[in-house]
This record gives sequence, structure tokens and C-alpha cells, in this order.
Amino acid sequence: MKKIQILLTNFLFFSFLFSSDNFWSSHSANLLEKNRWEIGMFQPFRYGYSEKIEYSIHPILFFAMPNISVKKSENTMWGFSAASQFSLNYPTPLLNMVSRKGIGGLIDPNLEVPPMLGLSVSWLMSKIILDFNLTIKNGLDFGLTYGSLDKRSSIDLPLVYHRLGVYNNGWGYHTGIDIQKAFMGKFEILFDIDLLLLPDLASTQANPDFKGLRGPYSIEHKLLLSWVKSDRFKVTTGYKFVNAEFPFGTQSRLLPYIPLSEKWVPIIELQWAGVKK
Amino acid sequence: MKKVIALSFLLFIFSCDPFVTEFADISEAEMYVAANSSNSEQLYNGGQVKVVTWNIRFGSGRFPFFGDSCGDEVIAENQTINTIMKSIADTLNSMNADIVLLQEVDISSKRTGYIDQVQYLLDNTNLNYGCYASMWKADFIPTDGIGKINTGNAILSKYPLTDAERIQLSLRTDQDDLVQYFYLRRNILKVKIPSLSQSGKDFYAVDIHATAFATDDTKEKHISKYIEVLSDLDAGSAIFVSGGDLNSVPPGASFDFCLLDKCEGERFIDSDGSESEYHSVDSLVGPHKEGSFFNNFEGEPDLLSPLYDSYQTAISHSDGSSLVSSNFTHAPSTSFERHAIMYDRKLDYLFTNGVWVAGSGYTHQGAWELSDHMPVSAYYLPESE
Repeated sequence: MKKIQILLTNFLFFSFLFSSDNFWSSHSANLLEKNRWEIGMFQPFRYGYSEKIEYSIHPILFFAMPNISVKKSENTMWGFSAASQFSLNYPTPLLNMVSRKGIGGLIDPNLEVPPMLGLSVSWLMSKIILDFNLTIKNGLDFGLTYGSLDKRSSIDLPLVYHRLGVYNNGWGYHTGIDIQKAFMGKFEILFDIDLLLLPDLASTQANPDFKGLRGPYSIEHKLLLSWVKSDRFKVTTGYKFVNAEFPFGTQSRLLPYIPLSEKWVPIIELQWAGVKK
Repeated sequence: MKKVIALSFLLFIFSCDPFVTEFADISEAEMYVAANSSNSEQLYNGGQVKVVTWNIRFGSGRFPFFGDSCGDEVIAENQTINTIMKSIADTLNSMNADIVLLQEVDISSKRTGYIDQVQYLLDNTNLNYGCYASMWKADFIPTDGIGKINTGNAILSKYPLTDAERIQLSLRTDQDDLVQYFYLRRNILKVKIPSLSQSGKDFYAVDIHATAFATDDTKEKHISKYIEVLSDLDAGSAIFVSGGDLNSVPPGASFDFCLLDKCEGERFIDSDGSESEYHSVDSLVGPHKEGSFFNNFEGEPDLLSPLYDSYQTAISHSDGSSLVSSNFTHAPSTSFERHAIMYDRKLDYLFTNGVWVAGSGYTHQGAWELSDHMPVSAYYLPESE
């Protein structure tokens, strides 16, 4: 039972990281059709609430890390479809679950993570150019902390450190570009590059214990190949590459990576969709 | 599309660093030079050579680390590490050591704020050159919040070092595959010091940190390998000074510290999760507390006899000095709080196939605040002196 608990906790933790990658159409400024829903093994549940509003939550993760995201259609700009996206999450319960003794302890069990609220605001713009679907995104991330957050509670891993870094830094900036193309009827390829910044990280740390807290950027790239069986089922595979600066220096890593076998394995994601009647 | 494939291939190449580093049987050690070294090379000008061995417990002092005491702590505050490291540097400076054999030195570990302790000591002491061999190197240890770790043995010297070699020691066989994968990989660090070569004989420093917690015969393998390395040097007419934390008691010493080291409420837990009490004092029948019982296999209490028989030791054994409390080098960091014990066993040693200056061996018990191991020093007497 204990091993199942540890595996489930870590599954939830890491699926949160990969669920922030938008696999199906939601990576763009385009919204789901009204009443259409989509969900994946690692992807959140998305629902087209209206012609102009789409919301998403990660249903299983919700119990450990309450989360919600709302995407709203905006007026077109310079020929680009536009949308704004607002996300809220409460990571404290999940982080305190991985702050534990023994296997599965990702955070020092002597450190308690205070109540924290994450807010992310993004602006997306999409346009089809020469049969390529181009999306540009920019946004700000805010980490609100109610209490004292010990900097030793950082998890210095790719994808994790910079997303949680906003709670140390107070805010961050993200930007990226996605290029998607359909080919051979049933296949799609997605190429993207994202940059996460934690501006002025070192200078926000007045406490000498924060000296050396580095890690202001993360560059993330993924390449995904999808087979779209129908408008109700899709299989995706690919990789994610991260080059980032951490408190210990710079590191690159190809993901997902299986430590025991010291091998990279491709992403495998299954997604389902339907229409609410 | 071709460019995409080429880029992907490059990404594979540059992303192939292992998550947990496993070492070859023999590999090169990492070399260091003090940043503020005023001379490009320090030459030996004759005289006695002071050698020190010290397990510095990653600069944490008496920190109640969960892994080796009755504490629960994992990551020390940077202020604590900085203060202890400065004190360790000051102590080494006051000793004016020529060669320092160190164990449990962190160079990039979350638990010590990622400070490179080898570089720090070189930059803050009168030592100029160093080499390092990792015994535990992983991107992330997903246990107890340890995180990133890189810790191991180091040799520091006033004189240039060459031909530094990391010699892998056997892994424990009393662990399952998962635990073994994320666990320590102990080693022997060997380096040549050309400045101290005499009469055509090469001079080596050899550093070891043997297994501490194995309940199988891993320690026997470690000490056997250590003896083999020293024998090869001796047979090749090389001179060596050697030592380290052997995690073994001298022949004739007490070998059972289970009940002394036992934490309050602690019980033995076997592989099935069943709990039982530890055995009575000096009982050969277990269960025993890992790292506290030095009779896990036949002959373990006398494991160091070949070393005493073949080489000169800094702290004499033949006259009983090694069994005297003033030469004890270790007790767990929480032993003083629990039992008013500062040191109750000798685990740290210095040997040479040359000559120590008579009576120069000394156990620095005054450094009690700076680690759970005390430094041992002695003066090596070159043939020419």
C-alpha cells in the first residue's frame, strides 16, 4: 500500500509537469468547440463552455493540487486569432506530500511548504502561414506565498525548478513559439520552443542563506508526432528537451528519462474527446 | 525536415549524461588547483612531511544528519556549512599539513548548498593542489529530500599531483537493486607526488573510505582491495603514505556499539518489515544495527592485522596506543547529547611503507565540533632526512 501511495504521489507530481504541455488543439489560440471535451492520460480535462470560453482542470491532480485554467477568445489581431488564458493552482498539498522521509521524498521532510497560490496569465496568437499553424505566446507567472518559504525546499529538477521558482522569486515570464503541421491526412507534427525566466532572481534574496540561488532561465523544446485516428481519439509520441540553469549550474536533459535504465523513452500520450449532449 | 532530424540527433548526444553515475573499475580523478596559488609549482625543500587524514562529514560538524546519527535533519543551512568549512580550513592551516587525505567531501550537493568544498579548502588554506574521486554522484536522490549529490574522497597537497586514479570498490550485496542503484559507490583515491620522490622511488598518497553500513562481507572486500593497492605500490618499490576512514576497529578493540548507537525507540526492521529488538551487548547473534557492529563476518575484528603487520602506523598498535581512548576518532554526532560520549572507537588510520617520525602520531580530538570523525596526523620522515 505504501509503495502504491509513493508511486501515485510521484505520478501526480510528474503528470502535472507534462500536463502543462498542450498536446491537442489547446496549445493554440483556438478554442474547443462549444460542448466539446478532451482528456488525456497526462493531459487535463478541457471543455468548450461556450464559443468564447474554454476551461480545463486536471481531475486526478485536483485532489493534491487544486487547479483551473480558463481560456477566452479575443479579437483577431493582425490576422492572428487571439486568446487570453488565466490559470490558478494551489501546489501546497502536493508539495507537502513529497516532503517526506524515505523513498519518494523529493523535499526535506523537516521543511513545510506554506500555503501558496500560483497565477499565470498568457496571451496567445495563432495564424496559419503556408499550411503551418503558428502560435506565439507570452505571459507572466506569479507566486503568492502566505508564510515563509525555505529556499532549501526547491526541487532542483528540469521542468520543476523553474515552475516552482516563481514562489521564491515572486514572479516569472514565459514566452514561446509553436509550429504545427498536418500531413498525410491522419498525422500531425508539433515543434515548439519555450523560454521560462525568473528575472532578477539573485537580487531578490537579501538573506545570506539565499546566496548562490541561481537558475534564472529554462529553455524547453519539444517535438511531437501525433496520429489522429478520429476527432475522438489521438495518439502522440515525441520528446522534450530542456536546457536550464539551476542552483548548481547549467544542465541539459532529454525527457522522459528513466534513471534505472539510464535511457530516454519517448512520450506516449493517449487522448480522447467527445461532445457533451 | 533534415535539419529537424539533425537537431534531434545532437540533442541525444548532449543529453546523455547519466542520472546516477556508475564508475569504471579504474578511472581518472578530478584535478584541482588553488585559485590563489602564487607559484605555478611548489617544490619540496626537504624536511619532514606532515600527513593528515580527516573525514570532514561534508562540513556539517555535529549536524544531526538522518543518515549517520539519531537526527532527522537532511539539508543544513548554508550559514552552518560556511562556518564549519571556515573552521576546517583554519584547523588545516594551524596544522600546516603538507598532505591531507579527506573523506566525505561534497563538491556539488544540495545538502551543503552546492559549495565545492575541495576548491574552497584549496582557496582558503596553504594547500595548493588537489584531486577528487566521487563515491556518490547523482542528479537527484529521490529519498528524504536529499536531491542532487556529489560527495567523495579528496587529497590535498602543497606539492603538485599527477597520475590521480580512482579505484572502484565492491558494491554492497545486502541491498536490493533499486537501493543499490541510488547508493554510494566507494573508492580508493591514489595520486603521485613527484616532488617527494626519492632515490628513484615514486611517492604516492592513497586515500580510502571503506563501507560503513554493510552487513555482508563488503568491508572485507574493501580492505582486501586496499591492501592489494598498497602491496602493489610496495612491490613496485614506490613509497606511500596512506590512510582514511576504514570503518574498522583495531584488532582487540570492542566491536559492538549497537546498543550505544541505538536511537530512542529504534528497533530493527528486517526486509519484510517485521520489527524486533536489537540483541544484547556483545552477542554474536543479531540483529545488529548497521554501522555499529564490527563482527559481521569471520575475521572482521582482526581485519586490519595485515596492515599493522606490514606497514608502519601513525598510532602504534603493538604498545596498545590504538586501543586507548585518547586515540579514539569517532562517535555518532548525537552520542554526546544522548550518552555524554564524544568518541568511543577508532576508525581512522595512517599507514606508510616508509617511516613515521617516532611519536609524531596524534589524534586531534580537539576538533570534535567540526565533524563526527577526528583528524589523525603524523610526520613522514623521508629517507634523506
